[in-house]
Amino acid sequence: MSEVRLQVQNLCKSFGITKAVQNVSFNVNKGEVHALIGENGSGKSTLTNMLTGIYTIDSGHFILDGKEIHPKNQVEANNEGVSIIVQELGTLSGLTVAENIFLGHEERFVKYGIKNTRAMNKEAQQLLNKYGFNRIRAGAMVDEYNFEDRKLVEIVKATYFTPKIVVIDETTTALSQEGREELYKHMNRIREEGNTVIFISHDLPEVLRMSDTITILRDGVYIDTVKSADVTEDDLKRLMVGREVTGDYYRSDYGEKVSDEVVFSVRNVSVPGQISDISFDLHKGEILGFGGLSESGMHEIGKACFGASFDRSGSVTLADGTSIDSIPKAIKHSIAYTSKDRDNESVVMNQSIGDNICLPSLDDLRSVLFFLSKSKMKQFANEHAAEMSVKMVNTNQFVSDLSGGNKQKVVLARWIGKDSDILVLDSPTRGIDIKVKQDIYQLMDRMRKQGKSIIMISEELMELIGMCDRIYIMKDGKINGELHRDPDLDENALIAQMV
Amino acid sequence: MAEQKSNAAVSKDEALKRQSNISLIRSLLPIIGLVVVFIIFNILTKGGMLQNLSMVMTQIYVTMIAATGVFFIMTMGGLDFSQGSILGMASIVVCMVSKVAPVPVAVLAGIATGAGIGAINGFFYVNRKIKSFIVTICTMFLFRGIIKYLTSGAPVGANATMILLNKDQLKLTCTLVVVVIGFVAFHFTKFGIHLRAIGAGEKAAKFAGIHTDRMKFLIYVLAGAITGFAAFINVIKVGSVTASGGNQLETQILIALVLGGMPISGGAKARFMNVIVGSLLYIVLTSGLIMMGLTTQAMQLIQGVVFLVFVAIFADRESLKVIK
Repeated sequence: MSEVRLQVQNLCKSFGITKAVQNVSFNVNKGEVHALIGENGSGKSTLTNMLTGIYTIDSGHFILDGKEIHPKNQVEANNEGVSIIVQELGTLSGLTVAENIFLGHEERFVKYGIKNTRAMNKEAQQLLNKYGFNRIRAGAMVDEYNFEDRKLVEIVKATYFTPKIVVIDETTTALSQEGREELYKHMNRIREEGNTVIFISHDLPEVLRMSDTITILRDGVYIDTVKSADVTEDDLKRLMVGREVTGDYYRSDYGEKVSDEVVFSVRNVSVPGQISDISFDLHKGEILGFGGLSESGMHEIGKACFGASFDRSGSVTLADGTSIDSIPKAIKHSIAYTSKDRDNESVVMNQSIGDNICLPSLDDLRSVLFFLSKSKMKQFANEHAAEMSVKMVNTNQFVSDLSGGNKQKVVLARWIGKDSDILVLDSPTRGIDIKVKQDIYQLMDRMRKQGKSIIMISEELMELIGMCDRIYIMKDGKINGELHRDPDLDENALIAQMV
Repeated sequence: MAEQKSNAAVSKDEALKRQSNISLIRSLLPIIGLVVVFIIFNILTKGGMLQNLSMVMTQIYVTMIAATGVFFIMTMGGLDFSQGSILGMASIVVCMVSKVAPVPVAVLAGIATGAGIGAINGFFYVNRKIKSFIVTICTMFLFRGIIKYLTSGAPVGANATMILLNKDQLKLTCTLVVVVIGFVAFHFTKFGIHLRAIGAGEKAAKFAGIHTDRMKFLIYVLAGAITGFAAFINVIKVGSVTASGGNQLETQILIALVLGGMPISGGAKARFMNVIVGSLLYIVLTSGLIMMGLTTQAMQLIQGVVFLVFVAIFADRESLKVIK
């Protein structure tokens, strides 16, 4: 049988009042891809962040190949043979590709106190070539590359020294299909070399396809470790949520006729370097999807519809001809927007849940003249937070304390409170667990039935297929194809037009 | 399992209570500090501070009024180092205008001067996207230079009618009006929530429909105007402006606000109470030290130490990086 590589023993970690990881113990073997799954806030990332020295351990042990390790930072973790690829950008702007790859290990190229840049670049380029990333130049600034390519640089950075354990923390949600395949290839390679991958992902089909063993966490507590071959997606969902996931996941209707009434028109919209000559109509009660690779310009369409694009040309108008060219104007005319960049553009992080929900509706929450009514605000916030079942202590709690799914619920509560008629949802379920995803899908379905119109921009093809009446596929800043709701529609039909 | 869950819930409630107690103590600390410092100085000076209370109070008006504007700036995550130069410039304008026009016109001219300098700050900060502390340090030097040029021959004196106005009642009323309007606007209108939202996450505030750029510009204009108004109080108190008029007001304000518990990076935790308690604490502290016989040179040293200690203890390091 396979040998044990890492023993996790009685691990605990608290953040203030939140017990993020409670007494977790399990083993990870050599030569396997070991998936770590659980809903948001179940403690997956906390656990791996302790392993890689980003967080300190409260109590418990990590035993790697029989020796206890307690790295204080990522470089120390690297020296112990542990590396990590993170969800968001993990490369540093302002440094070259080579400097990023060897960050913290520059001493290899230093002689008499002087860094030999040429030797560093040369070795970095050899590594890049070995990985098949020839088009990335080691001496170039990492800023010159897009998100996907920078992720590839991170793969090299995290794996070139054949570490014993590579942690891949929800990296795939940020990657396009191509990027994912590239990552999968390297995960398999690491396994074949007899080393270990700890793989964190919300995408259960991906977890089942890629991993050998799966450990499930729930609310910081260890639930079970199972062999991937022995379980189904539904088993995993049940273990994660702690009960049967019942009812419809996506919307279930097919063949319903969408109203002919156009509520929102986009004509010849271009944003330099992002999108060019985009035109479409949104109908009453319609869910219109935009899919494509992350760089296809689809995210910019959301911003353009919300008056948030810088340097936009063309027209964005409502049915009555009102032109939407600024955010306040969009909000005034009942348009709502959730950004892909939730932490920066959707929620005001260091502010209370209540204020976040009330922000666009303050004018409706006055008592007399321009004085706000604290009781109206409180009632408003409580009502809509409850409607979205936000998991919180009370509305005075800061948004920064919440998990990704709950942050998104706060954003949605804000727009439900504003009673917006047109919702532009960019990546509404990004990095969110199944239970909340289901809530959001059901909410979208209810809104659609109430006659509200939704533009849904997503990198997850399955949810586009499951939710949308029509799907536009974007490629290189242009609309490349249009697909209609159909039970037989599958991912391949979409991918064919994406690349 | 169920029992375990309820146990967890209980401990969560307890922990939450403890945390809210801590934040309550934190917000009360400046008030407690004010009372304690006041009592200590009264004991040390054998009641001297109580007897000279009106003299102590005369020093507070300008600082407290000007601090109101800076408080708004800091709430949205900015800084303003040009306050002293604004006060000096506006004071010179008030003096000059008072010689040729009635007092109300002089007051308005002072406010306009302050607002004008604030607009320069706001323009470079918002339109040219330069960090606020850099912009305001530049305008600080720029206008200090102009002040020195204007006062190079002799101090600029005000009309005698101005000096006759030097009554505690007037100064107190002016201060109260500014502070009360500031308090109400900050805590009971959307103005305050918008400011705090910008401080707590500017981009998200923009996406929630707040005119962030317009707001940022107008707040600098407003802070300048408020300090321009404070120049009127300054002039009736001192009568004439020298090259050092208004010198170091910006540091006094900064220290006062931090002493009052103001988070230096602004955001949702800013309370208007910070302005009032902080200004009082600052004045009690400085005049107490002067009464004890410390020289002005030693004062600066002590102020520096106190400021450093407070910032080190109270700074929220997580959000420090957002200072704009």
